[in-house]
Formats: sequence, structure tokens, C-alpha cells
Amino acid sequence: MNFSPVDIMIFGVICLLGVGFYTLLFKRNLIKLVIALQILVKGVMLAIIGAGLISNRINLAQSLVITVIVADTIVAVIGMALAVQVRRQLGTLDVAELSKLRG
Amino acid sequence: MEFPIFLWLIIIPLVASPLIYLSGHLGSRRIAQWTSLAVLLVTWIPFGFAAAELQNTDFLSYTYGGISLRFDGLSLLLSAVALGLGTMVVIFSGPYMSKEANQEKFYAMLIAMVGVMIGLGCAHDLFNLWIWFEAMAITSYLLVAFYRELPLSLEAGVKYLLQSAAGSVLVLLGISLVLAQTGTLDLTEIRQAESSPWLLAAGATFLIGFGVKTALVPLHTWLPDAHSMAPSGISAMLSGVVIEAGLIAMLRSLGALADVTAWWGPFLMIFGVLNMMIGNLMALRQKQVKRLLAYSSLTHVGYMLVGLGVALYLGVFNGAQGGAFHLFNHGVMKGLAFLAAGSLLYTLHIASGDHHPLLISDLNGASKRYPLVALTFSLAVLGLGGIPPLSGFMSKWQIFISGFESHDIWIELLVLFAAINSVFSLAYYAPMINALYRLEPSETVVKGNRMPGTMKIPLVVLAILVIVIGLWPGLMNWLTIPAGTALVNMF
Amino acid sequence: MASWLILSVIVLPWVGGLCVWRLGDKKPGLQHALASIFAVLGGVLAVALLPFASSSSVVEIPLGGPFGSFTLIPDGLGVYLTIIASVVGCLAVIFSNDYMKGEAQLGRYYSLVLLFIGAMSGLVLSGSLLFMFIFWEITAFCSYALISFHNDDPKAVAGGIKALILTQVGGIGLLIGALITYSYLGTYQIPDFIENAHMIPVNVLGFIAFGFLIAAAAKSAQLPFQTWLPDAMEAPTPISALIHAATMVNAGVYLLARFFPAFESVPGWTSAVMLVGMLSALMAGIMAVVANDLKRTLAYSTISQLGYMVYAIGCGAVFASQFHLMSHSVFKALLFLGAGAVIHTVGTRDMREMGGLGKLMPFTRLVFIIGAAGLAGIPIANGFFSKELLLEGGMVGGPFWAYLVMLLVAGITAFYSLRMVWMVFYGEAQNKAHFHDAPSRMRISLFLLALGTLLTWLLVGPFSELLANTLPFHEIHAASTITFIVEILTAPATWVALAIVAAGLALWLMRDRITGLARILKPLGTIAEKSFGFEWINQQIIRGTQRIAEGLRRTQTGQLNWNVVGIVGGLVIVLIVLAWGI
Repeated sequence: MNFSPVDIMIFGVICLLGVGFYTLLFKRNLIKLVIALQILVKGVMLAIIGAGLISNRINLAQSLVITVIVADTIVAVIGMALAVQVRRQLGTLDVAELSKLRG
Repeated sequence: MEFPIFLWLIIIPLVASPLIYLSGHLGSRRIAQWTSLAVLLVTWIPFGFAAAELQNTDFLSYTYGGISLRFDGLSLLLSAVALGLGTMVVIFSGPYMSKEANQEKFYAMLIAMVGVMIGLGCAHDLFNLWIWFEAMAITSYLLVAFYRELPLSLEAGVKYLLQSAAGSVLVLLGISLVLAQTGTLDLTEIRQAESSPWLLAAGATFLIGFGVKTALVPLHTWLPDAHSMAPSGISAMLSGVVIEAGLIAMLRSLGALADVTAWWGPFLMIFGVLNMMIGNLMALRQKQVKRLLAYSSLTHVGYMLVGLGVALYLGVFNGAQGGAFHLFNHGVMKGLAFLAAGSLLYTLHIASGDHHPLLISDLNGASKRYPLVALTFSLAVLGLGGIPPLSGFMSKWQIFISGFESHDIWIELLVLFAAINSVFSLAYYAPMINALYRLEPSETVVKGNRMPGTMKIPLVVLAILVIVIGLWPGLMNWLTIPAGTALVNMF
Repeated sequence: MASWLILSVIVLPWVGGLCVWRLGDKKPGLQHALASIFAVLGGVLAVALLPFASSSSVVEIPLGGPFGSFTLIPDGLGVYLTIIASVVGCLAVIFSNDYMKGEAQLGRYYSLVLLFIGAMSGLVLSGSLLFMFIFWEITAFCSYALISFHNDDPKAVAGGIKALILTQVGGIGLLIGALITYSYLGTYQIPDFIENAHMIPVNVLGFIAFGFLIAAAAKSAQLPFQTWLPDAMEAPTPISALIHAATMVNAGVYLLARFFPAFESVPGWTSAVMLVGMLSALMAGIMAVVANDLKRTLAYSTISQLGYMVYAIGCGAVFASQFHLMSHSVFKALLFLGAGAVIHTVGTRDMREMGGLGKLMPFTRLVFIIGAAGLAGIPIANGFFSKELLLEGGMVGGPFWAYLVMLLVAGITAFYSLRMVWMVFYGEAQNKAHFHDAPSRMRISLFLLALGTLLTWLLVGPFSELLANTLPFHEIHAASTITFIVEILTAPATWVALAIVAAGLALWLMRDRITGLARILKPLGTIAEKSFGFEWINQQIIRGTQRIAEGLRRTQTGQLNWNVVGIVGGLVIVLIVLAWGI
């Protein structure tokens, strides 16, 4: 079987997105969730590169991905900072404990 | 370099933001607040010029390398709401945040958020759109979780961040699909491309991805927590502008895909129905004032979606203008409601040092001690309930008219449903007014502090707007007609 | 000249309201005085409109876009209702000087009353459907705010919100009608609509017609929306007199009367109107017989009399309905203010705790009896003439069995009117405390209204001319007063009706000897006390909605994982719908 680079990329994207969403849906550790976001973004970045390959606009895709890296790092940092604060104030990293706001 | 005037709208706040942070850090906190106010007031000048130019042309544009920015009616609308509410919130937050640490970060982030939102309005390709959208999200994460010692505030911030970021990821996925299919990210160029299932999927991801930020039901679950736990000025910004920015981003991206399917309009209308219903039913049972107002934002997004959906589906101009008009009015009224509730929250709780939420039972008898706040809050809430001659009625009426202009029985039933919901919302707005005008004050009111004078300024300004626009809806035509035209042209 | 006059009729009370509010609650005496001055001025201006009555619009301010033009048309229907609203309003304000003495938040009270008076004038004078709806909503808001004026009383607050929601729900009928009109004819102007109504396809016109009927039924507390009016009695009594007897509740009847020429050709509409009126009159009449709260009895009687007017319109007797509206506003306001004088002194609304007050309050008793005479339809009062004219119109224009039912209700009306008078002013005094008669300001209003009750029937001739000249689409036959009176007095139907009224009165006087009949009718009385099940329906709707809302709260779990399910689920559903739809 001959897989083109794009096919491998698509497969990678699906795996990464799958892992990311699975974690968001089923895991409760706050650190894991933030990392899951990161995995999702990596998957999407891969998708963007793949799209650039398919449509021959690799430069546009590259600049987009670099910007995404920057933006996403910031989000990761903020997410982790919040996680640290949660640990400090609430003593736990379990998202299920963070459900006082309801109804 | 020759900059078109609208570019200054973005540059001034963005450049000023780190300066404000530095000035606050090195100088005093007051400097941070005054600088932010000055920055925003200065930004009104290019706004005026841009608005004047836009009356004669359809849009202004600027291209730099790969970045193309276009300032059309929708951008004008978003800038107006962002600048207007931003100015009010900065004035309001002076006393409100006076006891907090990290004030310079608050003001810096606030000004950055305003600048970034204006940028979002001007974006003309998906790349740009996403960047400004993400930047807006980032500034808002920090502002929502501002009270970082409070567990509830952290909880709201965490959930908001995770859900909003998930939405952003979906948007990016959509962008990759569009790029793969059409080879371009420019909004006008995408329009030329041919239809394909990938573009449909992209549209779905845009709808849902931006929909998280716009609080479409069932993506709305972060909203009640974030809007009630944020500092009240930020609640006003979130409900009044940030949600709407998400809506505009969604419209822009779906506009590029308008020729792919005619389903976008009906989707908006269906989500509108869900929002109206869920927003109203949930608001009915709330005991906390800010949470109630947050759910009511869901309902009002529903009205906007109905108007915009009709405009998208059938090209009815009144739907576009009405939706845009309601976007503006909701920003004013909801902003007023949150600021008024916030001032009560301040005098009754924060100034005394505790961070309890403001309960409806706390409102009892507040009108005797705080007559201006009681009056402006009642005006805001009556406007939200659609009582004439306040502005909320006028924009809702325009949306209803657009529905009937369609002569489509399903859309007319939808308008009937919206009207019923509007009446229904009075069932939870009216008891708050009744509570305010009781003779017997609640314990919290008796122990309340003095209301700072500066807090009253934004309340009065916004209340006057609510009344005046209600009496003379044509006053906002300079804003809503370009916005409506831009919308209809997009689709 | 006319345009300034008509605008000031609406705006002057609003200015007055603003002034009284800004005056602040620290100077109550000044507030009372200022409010009264503005109210009297409003009344004078309204009467001054009479010579300017015409069927064309006098004010026209275009608002552009989907908002049409703001127009005011001082035709006969609008002008006479404006006069009623302003004059009764002015008397209610004067009455309030004494009734609300010592109460807090007077600024809010008077400003809302004056806002209401202006808005009511605007409603009836408006030539644009949109602005009529706007004024409709403003009056509903004022009504809610004034019913729940005593915010600390949960019953008052509940009554106010109930009135607000029910009348607003009805208002949706008017809203839909206005929207359809604009989308088909491109204009909101009422004369244009009535003239071109036949150009709208009949089934669409039917929607407008029945939508207006729903709005009118809700506003005038007719079936099936009548439950809000008795609960609205928590309002201070001058408000009950002004809003819930003499003006706002008339808005529904006004709506039906004004649009009658447009809708009379819609199949089933006139029958529906007639039925709504007849059933309301009958049911409310029975409920009034068993009510023990003085104001609630008056509320039921209001519903019943409004039912008469609605019935008359359904039978095509539009003029008769308006004539009865005029009489009813005067004598019902009189009855409510009289009741207010009694309640203010005695401190309770329960008639079983009153009795024998006639000796202590002779003035109030006299005026109250005059009002009751109007209600029952006894020949000295205006109610007699208007009710007889109405019944005649019903006999001619509607089915005979409906006429018989309305005759029966006339008898029931006489019965409970006398019952009311008796329980309050005659018989054994249940409360031995010493009560004083109505104070002076109250007496002014009561006196003027009593005079009105005895005299307004003389205006029937000029009134018919006013309406005939200024309403081009209705077919109103003008005649002189003498012609009308002779016609009423010589019609055999009148004597039949009088006999029924006499029978009703006699039944009360002989109540001790008809215990057998009373026992047979007792189950009917119990059902009536439960308002024929309508209150139960209301409660079920409220409880059901609350339960659904409470259940829905469980979807806001607070668990992040569930929230993400929402996002992913939303995406999946959208994708599925797109895939299936294409």
C-alpha cells in the first residue's frame, strides 16, 4: 500500500484530534486537560500544513502555523497558571471538584 | 506611511496597552486608570472620521503584505459598541477596582481587549480573523479569572478557558479545510470557490467554533459562570461586546461560505429558538442577579440570531438592520444592567470586603438609599424586556417586521415565538424592579456603604441612551444602515 | 392649533409626572397639589379638543424605516375616550389627595398615574397601529407598576405581575395584527387599513381579526383572560377606579369598536366577539353574586359590563356599546371611589365585616346608591338608558337566545348591586367602631361623578353626531337626544328589561324566603367562587413552567466534561443535519 505524505498527515490529524477530544470528554485532571488542548492544537496545525500541501499554499500555511504556535503558547501558559492557582486555592486538580457553579 | 484612518482605531489601544501596564506598575494605580480613559477618548476621534467616511462608501480597506483589513459597516458597529462600552467600563471600574491589587493589569488587558475586538471587526481573511479572535479570547481569560484568590472565580475562568480554546481549535480546523479546498483564506476569494462537502464541514466547524464564544445553546455552558464571577465591568463587556464579536466573526466566516449552502440562515434561526427558550427558562429560576442577567444575554443573542437568520436566508434588509440594531441596543442595555448591578454589588459587598454574590433578595428596598441605581437598573431591565418607548422595543420590532416581510409561515411562527419569549422574560425582570422599590430594606442595604459618584456617570449616560434611542430609533441609522448593508452584501 | 392641543393632551400629564417625581418625596403636600393641577389641566385640554374633532390626522411625524409615521387623529371615538380618561383621571387624582395621605413614595405614584393618563390618551388618539401598540404597552406597564405599588405586599406584587403577563400575552395578538398589516399594506395607518382591509386575503385578515380579539379580550378582562382583574384589586382604590374601571379596560372595547368595519366581514368573527362578551357577562355576573370582597365584586361587575359592550359590538351595535362605555366609566368610577372612601375608613375590603355604615356615612351612601342605580339600570341613572339601547341593539343584531341570556344577566346585575349596597350600608353593623364620612377632597370627586351618573345620558344626541361625523367607515346614525330617549322609553323591550331588573331587586329583598332556590343554586356558587376553573388553569400553567425551568437547571451541571459534550455534540448534530439536508 502506498501512502502519500498527505494521507499520513490526515491519519495523524485524526489521531491527535481523537486523543485530544477524548481527554477533554473523559479525563478529569486539570493538567491533562490543558495538555489535551495542546494536543488538539498540534493536530490542527498538522491539518493546516497538510492543507497547505494539498493546495500548494505552503507559505501561507507556514505563517499561519507559526502564529498559532505563538498564540497557543500564551493560552497554554495562562491555562497552566490557572491550574497552579486552582491547586493552591482548592487543593485539588480534579475538574469534578470544580463544579460549585451550577444550575 | 499613509495609514487609512480606521487603522488608528486598532493601533492606539494596542500600543497603549503595554504602556498602561508599565505606567501603572512604575507609577500609581490611578495613573493606569486615567491613561486608559485618555487612550479611549483619543480613539473616539478616528472613530468619528471613519464613521463619516463610511456614510459615503461601502468600505475602507488597507493591505500590508499578506494582511488585508477592511472596515465596513459591521466593523463600524463592533467598534462603536466596543469603544462605547469600554469607555463606560473604564470610568466605572475606577472606584470598583480601587481596592484590588493588579489594577494595572486589569486596565492594560481591558484596553487591549477593546483594540483587539476592533481588529476582529476589520479582519478580511480567515487568518486575521482567527488571530484577533484568539487575542480577544486571551485577554478575556485573564479578565474573567481576575479574582484569583476566589475559588469560584477560578472555576469559572478554568471552564471558560478550556471551552473557549476548544472552540478556537474547531475554528482552526475549519480554516485548514477551507485552505485545503480553495487554496486561499481571503474572504472574498473564498466566495468564488466551488461548493464541496469539505466546505460544508468547514462551515459547521465555524458555526460551532465561533458559536462557543457567541454562546449558542448547547455551547453556552461557560457563560453563566464567567459572566457572574467576573468583575462587573468585565461582565458588562463580556455580555455586551465579546459575545457580539463572536457573532460577527461567525457571520464573516459563514459569509465567505454563503454560496455553499442556503442552510446557514435556518441554522441561525434554529439556534435562535434554542437560545431564547433556554435563556428564558433558566433565568426564571435564578436567585443571583448577575447570573440572571447572564442567562438573559442568551435570550437576547437568540433575538439577534433570529433577525440575522432571516436576513441571511431571505436577504430581508430589515432583518440585517434590526439584528445589528439589537446588537447595539443589547450592548447598551445589558451593559447598563450589569454596571448598575455591579454598583450595588460594590456598595453592598465589595466595599465591605466580602465577595458574596448579589442576590435578588439583597435588592429589597434599595431604591430609597440608591435611587439613581434603582432607576437606571429598572430602565435597563424594562428595555431588555421590550417595553416601549425604550430602545429594546424598537430593535425587537424591526426584527419582528423582517420576519413578517418574509411572508413565510414558519418564520412568522418563529416571530410569534420570539414575541411570546419577550413577554415571558418580564416574569423574571419585573420581580427585581418590585424588589428595588420596596419600602422595607434588606439587611445588606442597611449595612451598605456610600455609592461613589464616579460610578453614577456611566449609569446616567447609558440610561439616557436607552431612552433617547427608544424615542428616536432613527438616531442610530448612521450605524445600523451600513452594518445592515454590509451584512446583506456578504450574503 | 389642533396639533398643539392634541400633543399637549398627551404630553402635559407626562411633564406633570416628571415634575412631581423630581419634587421629591419630602414635600407631599406640594406633590398632591402639583399632581392635581396637572391632572385638571389635562382634563380641561381634553374637553377643549371637542371642537377640533375630525377624521383626518392632525399630527404627522415620520420616523422612517420600519417604524412608519407617528400620527394622531382626533376623531369622535378617540376624543370622547380621551375626555373620559383625562376627566376621570383628574377626579381620581383629586381623590388620591385624601386617599394616599401619609403614604410613602408619592412621587412614584403620581408620576405613574400621570404617565398612564397621557399614554391612554395617546392610545385612543393614535392613528398608527405601531404607536397604538406602543401606548398599549405603556399603559400595561403603568397598570402593573400601580397594582404592585405596595411592593412589600406579596399579593400586590403577584397581582401586578399577573396583570402584566396576561395583558402582554394578549398584546401579542395586537402585535401580530400590526405586523401582518405592515407586511401586506406597507403602512401602519389605521384609516388606510380599514379602507383597504378587503384587499388582504380573507384568511390572513382573519388572523389579524382574531389577534385583535385576543388582545381586546386580555385588556378588557374578558374570557379567557379575565383572571387578572380581580387580583388587580390590590392596587390603591383610585387606581382601580381609573385604570381598571374607567379607562384601560376600555381599551379592548375601543379596539373592537374602531376596527369593526374592517373585520365584520371575516367569517365567524362577529359571532366570536358576541360569544366572548356574552359568556364573560354571564360568568362574571354569577361570580359577583357570591363574592364577599367589595372591590372584587366591583371587579366582576366590570368584567360583566364590559361583556355587555363586547356583546353589543358582536351584534353590530357599535354606537350602543360606546354609549354604555361612557355611562359605565362614570358610574363604575363612582362606585370604586365610593368603595375607596368606605375601605379607607373601615380598613377592610370584606363586606361581611361592614354593614350599617349608611347612618355613619350618609354622603357616601347616597353617591354609592346612585352609582349602583347606574349599574343595575334603574331609570334615573345613565346606566338605564345605555343598557336599554344596548339590549335593543343586541335583540336586533344578534341571535335571540343570546339576548335572553343578557336579559338574565341584567337581572343578576340588579341582584348583586342591591346586595352590595345592602351589605355595606344597611343591616346590622358588624363593626362597632366609629367611622367618619368621606373627607372633603374625596367628596369633590364623588359629587362630580354622581352628577355625571345622573346626567350623562342627556349627551347621547350630540355624542351620536360626533361619532357619525368623524368616523367615515362605521355606519353610525346620528339623532337628537329626544329621539333616542323616546325610542328607548317606548320600546317594549325596555319594559321587559325593567321588569327583569325589578325582579332581580325583589329577589334580594325576599332572600330570606327563597332559601329553597338558594340551596339549589349553591353548587353553582361554589364553582363561581373558584372562578369557573380559570384560576386553576392559570396556576397549572405557572406551576408547569416553573417545574420545567427547574428541571432544565440540571443541564447546567457545572462539570466541564459535560460542557465539552455539548460542544462536540453540537458539532456532530450540525454535521449530520448538513449531510442529511444536502
